[in-house]
Amino acid sequence: MKILNVYRSAPDATTKKLVEIVSEGREASSFDLNVDAPDYSNLVDMIFAADQTICWW
Amino acid sequence: MSKKVCFVSRHKDYVHDAMRSALGLAVENMYAYCTVLGVEVPAFDDYNKENLEWIRDMEGEVYSDMDANVETNEMAKISIEELGQKMREMDVIVPYGIV
Amino acid sequence: MAKSLGIFVTNPNQMRHVMGVTKAAVAKGSKVKVFFSWWGTKLTTTAEFPELCAMENVDVSICADSYKKSGFDVDVVPKGLTKEKMATQAQHGAVIDDYDCYLTL
Repeated sequence: MKILNVYRSAPDATTKKLVEIVSEGREASSFDLNVDAPDYSNLVDMIFAADQTICWW
Repeated sequence: MSKKVCFVSRHKDYVHDAMRSALGLAVENMYAYCTVLGVEVPAFDDYNKENLEWIRDMEGEVYSDMDANVETNEMAKISIEELGQKMREMDVIVPYGIV
Repeated sequence: MAKSLGIFVTNPNQMRHVMGVTKAAVAKGSKVKVFFSWWGTKLTTTAEFPELCAMENVDVSICADSYKKSGFDVDVVPKGLTKEKMATQAQHGAVIDDYDCYLTL
């Protein structure tokens, strides 16, 4: 299963723990939305390639 | 097959609406779960008590890692580790609102 | 054929991401549905909201109950939207069930 973790803000300890558990043993990638100019085209490609996208707070 | 959806709220202003939204999916024949992390929620009014009961009646659950929410609002206790494991079973995970 | 994308918006600070992701998905030939709920409905007052509603292959709706609870008059339809797009949480169900991919913002 391919999982994509997207971050709207810097992940704190709680988010990091959940990501660790959810992603364990899976093909996981991540995308940081919390930057000045996110590459939305790349993000959409990553969403389409993933089986599940989780957009954390 | 009915999808499993888990809402997770970490801000007190988003808890009640996450429950309402979860109930909305439950009536759409999805398994809807709601989790309140790290925030203490004042005692529910009748409307929100009913929403919690409806979610349970429809085979969902409302969880929290906070003992106060378990005692005051009868949410089911869950640890971060248990929630992470539960999330692995979900088709959709909804980190709700803001932190 | 590009996959379709459903976006569920509850954070009132995410309009640039809503626009950025939607435009990028549409540019790839994707069909997009955006549903605004709870304080996400505050984004109906942004300058970008009518632009989003006018985009081809984009279906925009809001939760009418959330809109009311966020302090708006439900009889005042946000610019760019139509009355029938002021709907219920069933729209979130449609985002999940009818679209290939899901994103919450």
